[in-house]
This record gives sequence, structure tokens and C-alpha cells, in this order.
Amino acid sequence: MQEEARPDAALVGLENVPHTGEAIGADGLLVEPQAEDFRSAKLVPRERDWFKGAVFYEVLVRAFSDSNGDGTGDLRGLASRLDYLEWLGVDCLWLPPFYASPLRDGGYDISDFRAVLPEFGSVEDFVYLLDEAHRRGIRVITDLVLNHTSDAHPWFQQSRIDPDGPYGDYYVWSDDDQRYADARIIFVDTESSNWTYDPVRGQFYWHRFFSHQPDLNFENPHVQEAMLDTLRFWLDLGIDGFRLDAVPYLFEAEGTNCENLPRTHDFLKRCRKVVDDEYPGRVLLAEANQWPSDVVEYFGNAEVGGDECHMAFHFPLMPRIFMAVRRESRFPISEILAQTPQIPDGCQWGIFLRNHDELTLEMVTDEERDYMYAEYAKDPRMKANIGIRRRLAPLLENDRNQQELFTAMLLSLPGSPVLYYGDEIGMGDKIGMGDNIWLGDRDAVRTPMQWTPDRNAGFSSCDPGRIYLPVIMDPVYGYQALNVEAQLNNQSSLLHWTRRMIEVRKQHHAFAEGDFTDLGGSNPSVLAYRRRWLRPDGHEDVVLCVNNLSRFPQPVELDLSEHHSSRPVELTGGVVFPTVGDLPYLLTLPGHGFYWFQLVEAGDDSEPR
Amino acid sequence: MDVTEPHDLVDKVMAELPEWLPAQRWFGGKDRPVTSIRPLRAVVLRSEEPVLVHLVVEVAQPDRQEPYQLLITDHVDNYDATQVPELTGALLDLIAEGAEVDGLRFAHEPDVELQTGLRGRPITSEQSNTSIVFGSQYILKLFRKLTYGDNPDLVLHRALRQVGCEHIAQPLGSITGRLDGHTTTVGMLQQFMPDAVDGWAMATTSVRDLMAEADLHADEVGGDFAGEAQRLGQAVASVHADLERALGTQSANAENIERTVRAMVSRLDAVVASVPELRPYVPALREAFEQAKETPDAVAVQHIHGDLHLGQVLRTVQGWLLIDFEGEPGSPIAERVELRSPLRDVAGMLRSFDYAAHQLLVGQPEDHQLTVRALEWSRRNRAAFTEGYAEAASESVGDPRKRGYLLRAFELDKAVYEVAYEHANRPEWLTVPLSSIARITGEGAVQS
Ligand SMILES: Nc1ncnc2c1ncn2[C@@H]1O[C@H](COP(=O)(O)OP(=O)(O)OP(=O)(O)O)[C@@H](O)[C@H]1O
Ligand SMILES: [Mg+2]
Repeated sequence: MQEEARPDAALVGLENVPHTGEAIGADGLLVEPQAEDFRSAKLVPRERDWFKGAVFYEVLVRAFSDSNGDGTGDLRGLASRLDYLEWLGVDCLWLPPFYASPLRDGGYDISDFRAVLPEFGSVEDFVYLLDEAHRRGIRVITDLVLNHTSDAHPWFQQSRIDPDGPYGDYYVWSDDDQRYADARIIFVDTESSNWTYDPVRGQFYWHRFFSHQPDLNFENPHVQEAMLDTLRFWLDLGIDGFRLDAVPYLFEAEGTNCENLPRTHDFLKRCRKVVDDEYPGRVLLAEANQWPSDVVEYFGNAEVGGDECHMAFHFPLMPRIFMAVRRESRFPISEILAQTPQIPDGCQWGIFLRNHDELTLEMVTDEERDYMYAEYAKDPRMKANIGIRRRLAPLLENDRNQQELFTAMLLSLPGSPVLYYGDEIGMGDKIGMGDNIWLGDRDAVRTPMQWTPDRNAGFSSCDPGRIYLPVIMDPVYGYQALNVEAQLNNQSSLLHWTRRMIEVRKQHHAFAEGDFTDLGGSNPSVLAYRRRWLRPDGHEDVVLCVNNLSRFPQPVELDLSEHHSSRPVELTGGVVFPTVGDLPYLLTLPGHGFYWFQLVEAGDDSEPR
Repeated sequence: MDVTEPHDLVDKVMAELPEWLPAQRWFGGKDRPVTSIRPLRAVVLRSEEPVLVHLVVEVAQPDRQEPYQLLITDHVDNYDATQVPELTGALLDLIAEGAEVDGLRFAHEPDVELQTGLRGRPITSEQSNTSIVFGSQYILKLFRKLTYGDNPDLVLHRALRQVGCEHIAQPLGSITGRLDGHTTTVGMLQQFMPDAVDGWAMATTSVRDLMAEADLHADEVGGDFAGEAQRLGQAVASVHADLERALGTQSANAENIERTVRAMVSRLDAVVASVPELRPYVPALREAFEQAKETPDAVAVQHIHGDLHLGQVLRTVQGWLLIDFEGEPGSPIAERVELRSPLRDVAGMLRSFDYAAHQLLVGQPEDHQLTVRALEWSRRNRAAFTEGYAEAASESVGDPRKRGYLLRAFELDKAVYEVAYEHANRPEWLTVPLSSIARITGEGAVQS
């Protein structure tokens, strides 16, 4: 009865653009767009380890800039703002998914891996963005969901109507819903089982996430090939890498929790091999919200410098930074860093303060979960922030000193920092505003970027009623006062400050790849650490970072005996501090203050840099 | 500089000691004059320049004669060799070698390998002994006032290491000498925790935060300490359980308890004689001490820490550690090594929470709001500590809250001791133990 339904029937708005399943070949295979059908972007000169020192910037295409006045941000709009991002010092953009999608899961429900969501533009527009970004030395990565597709994907449509056809085995089908009973249900609020019955095919299909997102069957070699070809499609166009979403769940095995299985790692190694052999210099970043000691598995074999993902997010660090400042105690941060294992040479952590997701405490060891929940649950204010999406500024009650302290830690702790769009100007969110009840919570941190005090904050020329989300208008965070233009004109703005700190960070490779030593100290409110990097000229680049997590001024005595006779040079102003002598080094910090120093060795006559 | 013969050095130092010794922070006899000092033993550890001599002297004072340990040198401006980094490194090397010099035995613990050649740096915090840190690995405590025999600090650390206790800094070596025919511990080497912060600094950070937020309650402010207090309670209970495993436990009989209560009462009598401010509470205190005899079932006694307070615990990235198992330095050694109820340690910690809560108020004009806040902080963290203790307590000790009378008596006894101490040393702090006594006796105890 479904026979005449076209495989691309569920794709919307793609009538006039190339897309998967617009035709079916004689072999029963769906015709898919090929990279050769498009122009490809010129690449940034190849540099193997660029990601280790890069400053990343997460930007939602929808929220950044609208080029065609339809009220929704788009790829061309983003391209038009690249001068700003270059000025800020951004090295790499991370774009959450911009693929064709029914948008039932923020675009993570991909219905065609080879087409762009029409409201964002086209594949050609994406190539244009890449070219413009690369011209400025900015790279671009995007999310790719390997684990599942939207149920609107033509592959799934074919799979359900033609069990014996080439796509019949693309998904995990079963006659009953009893298999893999040990796998937990991730979205317990909306899903009651990892299996859903499909009346068309008359079988159950497996899904670790929403029931509208069937899991791909990685046991099927054709699926593996198809996903590798998906990578190749975008890499051929010139993309600089992928953030691989939901990586722990690719394979299933009876009697396991179906997470982090060895075969999942085997497949990631295949992905990595494609990158290394065919696209050197591009990166894979794993999204695995797990404990650091488990996440390191996703870097692969340390003996060869890592042979799976180049990068992985360090998830538990972020809530602990918040907790440490709240408690005025460095231990939450020191502990998590002490428990973070060494990573292979060729790898780097990605660290962040905020992103488009909520502040989660989803951490894997029971002990850690108990610890965090015990601490958070005791504290009504912290508890209130769990599970909702908030921006940095409102989380910190718009306190400039704390925003600076947090950003300084983000830019100096080990890992490549990921900024969230708008946080560089201290944008607000839409939580707790009575007039915006209709604004779902996931949208709270996705409001339009505030460029100017003009209509629609300079984001779009559309009629304000057509904008995808209203711009923020309250007295504190409203666009009239808080916008890029105003902050560009004010040398002491958060924006100028952020740019300056990024600039300083880039002058010292110790921030990027230096080893990390927690210096301890007898004052629990002061977090001091050293980053040390052996420069190619043989001298060491040693950076000392001292952070006062307390709102009160604090003294600290640091054991710098290893750096006897060195001169600490403050990095933002170049002021030379007293030489390190026999006694513990005494510093005093204002409330929520911090210092970055370079320690210049007595014999090192090279200019402090 | 002319070459000093070790013997000349000893003579020179002996001549200056009557003036120098009483000025040292660690000298425990400041309450009465020094009548004479005589050398007991001198061991030359280094005879070339700069000379290093280990010297034990006996200090005579009215009613007491006590041995003290010194390490001396002819270094230009400092006879006290513990302060000279170039010299103290030699102590570590001797321990690593397992050397014996003229009856002074340097030893490392079995299966410990030490790194040598490190400079020693004395710690800057005030203490009753002298500790020297080597690199960022080791800390050597040189006991100043010596007690004949094995020092309980070393004995208990060794016992705890043997059962794999995780809440101590591991003991790594020792220095022992012979004193009056007794083998006597004069030094202990331990693992140094460079990231450690003592519990007092941790707790007062939290109190400071609360005091700055006059309109928020203790459970609402960012610097809440309850999570830490609870984990600290667990650590203390687990050390008690390890001590029990290593060295055993006994049941106190009625006579033991009787004697304990008698000691409390006689301390009270002695203190009230010199501190009239305590007088109004005497009847209630006596009653509370008497009630301690009403224990529902057997009271376990075992080796305990003996002088537990927030200054004797260290927060490290691995969690809470207990240090300094020497016992209360003021009390006689016989009392210190006696088996006692672990609830004494619990009581000591509870008192310390009270002190931490009130320390910012001392010497300040009376402020009702802040006093209420301090009390709130103390209640919350004492409860969290006790909760944590109960969670990890061994079976023989059990939930301290089920022994309300006994715990209260220990706490009051400690507070009476504090009254005497503050009266003699820091009169403006007297209100801290006195107000605690008023509150505790007023509230009564719950015995389940
Ligand atoms: N293992 C260790 N690691 C780090 N610091 C330590 C360690 N042991 C002791 N300390 C530091 O040294 C100080 C003194 O140590 P300890 O209590 O053992 O000496 P003490 O002479 O008995 O002091 P007090 O007279 O205050 O009781 C402690 O308060 C602590 O700050
Ligand atoms: Mg001590």
C-alpha cells in the first residue's frame, strides 16, 4: 500500500535542490548528491596540530545573522559576520547541525546528510561560507550524528517499506522488543522503551534517543561505508572536521549496556583512517558525556599518539568550575583535573563554560554523581540551575569580575576553549521572564545575536513579528544597551577584554600545549597552576595562572622554588613583578581577581613574550 | 669565620640557651621560669664546616624537668640548624641510608625508597614541633619536647599504614635515640601533601562567606561547608575503624566510666576555682557528667587520635586526611596512650566547628545577627559531620547520636578545658567556650 510513496516524501522544502532519494537507480539504490556536483572551498594551509591551540566558537546559524530578511539566520548571514569573528580572534567555528531536518530535535534529527536545511541556505552557500572563513584563516567544523537518522530520512523510509531491498538492513529491526534489555533509556521523560513498533514494516526498530530517531545498524558493512561516504562528502567540499555526536552508542551487543563497545571504537578508527589517509589536517571531536577516564578511550591508542578522535569534550570540568567559585574553594577543580588522565600526544581536550545544552550533572561514576548531587542538592541556587539552559552572564548574576575570572580560567586551563556565541558580550537568556512563557526552555539561550541597538538588534531586516525568536529586550540584557556595536566603541567593554585575553593566550603556546601543574597552596580559595612548554629555541615558556575564587581579597603564598630567580611578568600589561627568591612567593588578589604571568628565567634574555 | 669545634659549639649554644629557648614558639614551658639547662647527649652529625650537632638538653623548671631536642650549627646567623636548608637535607640522606650515628638511628620504613639530595625548608606555620619539608615529597617532624619511648604519632601512623588506611599521610621513616635507657622517637618522616589545606582554613573560608551575606541562611550561601563536613565525618570514622582493626577494641566497664566521669568532675573543680565565670554552670555541668554514666550498652574504647580539631585535618585532592596523632601535648604520656572512647575525637571536632563559627566575632562589638548566623553555621556543620561519622562508623562505635549523654559530657569536658586555656592565654576568647557551655547545658541531650 505504501509502494508508491517516494523515499523522499518526508523531506520538506527540498523540491528544487539536489537531495537523497530524488531518484532510485536500477540497482534499487537511492541517488544521492555527490561532492563533485558542487564547487569546493579552498583550504587553510595545512597545519597538523592547529586544533591544539585553537579558540573555538560555537555559533548557531539560525541565531547569528539573517541575510535574506526572512527572520531566520542563515549561512550567508554568518559569512557576512566573519570579519567580526576574525577580529575577536576565533580560530574555528563549530556549527551545530545545519542539515535537512524535520527539526524535532534541534536539527540533530537529520533527514538528509547531503542537503542543507533550506531556511539556512544551500550546499553552495556552505561552500561560500567555508571559502570566506578559510580566507581569514578561520576553520569550520560541524556536528555529525553517526548513530541515527531522522525517521524522515529516505534510508529509513526505504527500510520500512522494503525489508529485502538494499536499505532493508540499514536499521536495527526485530520481531520483538526484548533484545538488549541492559541498555538504559536515555530520555526517560519521553521514551518508555528503546524499541518502537513500526506498523509499516510490522517490526520493532531500535533507538537510543527519541523514537523518531531510529539507530543505524552498524553491523551492516553498507551502513559503515555510507557513513564514511557522508564524511567524505563534506570533507571533499572543504570542511575542517566534525564533532561526532553520541559516539558511545553505535553498536549493540546482548548482555552489555550497549555503550562504548569495542566495535564502536573499531569504527571510529576507520573514520580516523579516512581522515588521516585522505584528508590530513582535519579533525574529529568526540561528544561523549562521560567521565574523563572513560572519554580518553575515544582518543584511541596512545602509543601512536591517538588513532580515534583528535579531540573530546571535557564535560565534568564545567560544573565544577561553577561549584568552585560558589564554594570559594579550588578543590572541585583541582580534584577533577587530578582525576583527568594523560591523553595521547596527538590529542586535545575541548573545554567550555556554556554551550547550547543545559548545565548537566550527567556524570558516569556513581561516586562523582553522588558528590555533585550532594553538593548541588544542598544548595537551592545551584539546584535551580540544573537541567535548564542558561547563559554565562545570568548564571553569574551579570557580575563582570566573575565573567572575567571564568573566561580567564577557560582560556588558561588545559584544553582548547570553546566560546558560546554572545557570551563575549555578556548576552542574557530568557529564563524566568513572565512575558515569554511560550519560549520553550531550549530556546532560552538561542536568541538572536545582538549586533546593534537598531531594529531586531541588527540581526535581521525582517518585520519583528517574523523573527524566529524575539530579541532580548529587558533593561539589563536588552539589545538597546547590550550589543556588539556599543561594546566595540567602548575600550573597557567585556568584548574588548575578551579579545585582548584571546590575543594574550595566543602569544604563549604554553596555554595551548603546555603541561599542567596544580600548585596547591595553603589558601583554599586560590587556584594556582603552571603551564610549561618547551619552545623550539630550547627555552621554556612558563606561564603561571593565579585565580581568586573568592569574592574577598586573598593573599597566597606559592611554592615557586623550582623557578628561583625567575622574573614574573604580568601578561596583560607587561609589568615585571619581584623576582622569585628563597621565600614562598607572596601575591595578593582582589575579590574574583586573577593574574597571568610569564616566568622569565634569570638567564633568558629573550624579550618576555 | 674561624673553624668551630663541635664541642666549642655545644658550649657556646648552652651558654645562650637560657635566653634563646624560652623565646621559641615550640617551647612548652613558658608558664614558669627556667631554672637550669643541662646537655643530656650531643651527637655530631657533621664535623666539617658548617658543623651539625644533634643535641638533647634537659630543661629544669619548678616542678618539672623535661628533655628538648635541638639541632645546632655554627652557621653565621643561626644556631638553629633546622632553619638552614643546606644542612637539613643531610637528615633525609641519613634516613634514606638507614644510618646510625653514635646511637642516633635513622631508618626508613620497610619497602620505602626515598629520593635524596633534596633541600629542606622549614614550614612557616606556628607549631609545637619543627617540621621540615623536602622538595614537594616529604615532611620531617622533629619533636621538640621529647617523651621517653615510642612516640604515639609514629606508633599509630605505622599501625594505620599496615591496615592500608587512606586518610593519613603515609609514614616513611623515623629517627630514634636513646634517652635515659629508653629508645625514644625524636623524628618522623611522612609523605608531604603539597596541595593540602588545613580544615581550619577551609571552614573559616565558609564562615566568612556566610557572615558577608547577612540575609541568607547557612544552607543558602555559596560557601556552604556541609558537604565537606560530612565527608570529614566519614574520614574520621574510617580512621577510627582502621585503628580498631589494627590495634583492637575493648569494652569499658562501669569502673572505667566512673573514673572517666570523676576526672571530668575534678577538672571542673580545678578550673572553676580560678575562673569564676564558669560558676553559674557548675550544677548543670555536674549533672551532665553524671548522666554520662547512664549508657544503654557497652562503651567501646580503643586507640584514638586524642587531639582532634580542624587544625589536625588536611583537605587534599584525594580527600580528608588526619595528621598529628601525638595526642594532647599538654597531658601526660600515660593518659595519651590509654584506650579511650572514639567519641572523644568526635567531641573534639564538634568543639572545633563551634570555634570556627565564632572566631570572626571574637573581639568585635556584639552583633545579634552575626551571632545567630554563627550558631546556624555551627549547627549545620556539626550535624553534617556527625551524619558522615555515623555513615562510616564501625559497629563497635556506632552512631554517636545514639550516645547523646556520653558525647555531650565529652564535649563539655573539652569546653571546660578550653575555658581554662582561654582564661590563661586569650581572655577575649573566653566567651566562645562559655557560650557553648551555656547552650549545650541549656539544650539538654537526647539519649536514644
Ligand atoms: N603530610 C603533610 N602534608 C602537608 N602539610 C602537612 C603535613 N603534615 C603537617 N603539615 C602541615 O604542618 C602543620 C604542622 O604539622 P603537625 O600538626 O604535624 O605539627 P605539630 O608540631 O604537632 O603542630 P601543632 O603544634 O600545631 O599540633 C600542619 O598544620 C600542616 O599545615
Ligand atoms: Mg598539630
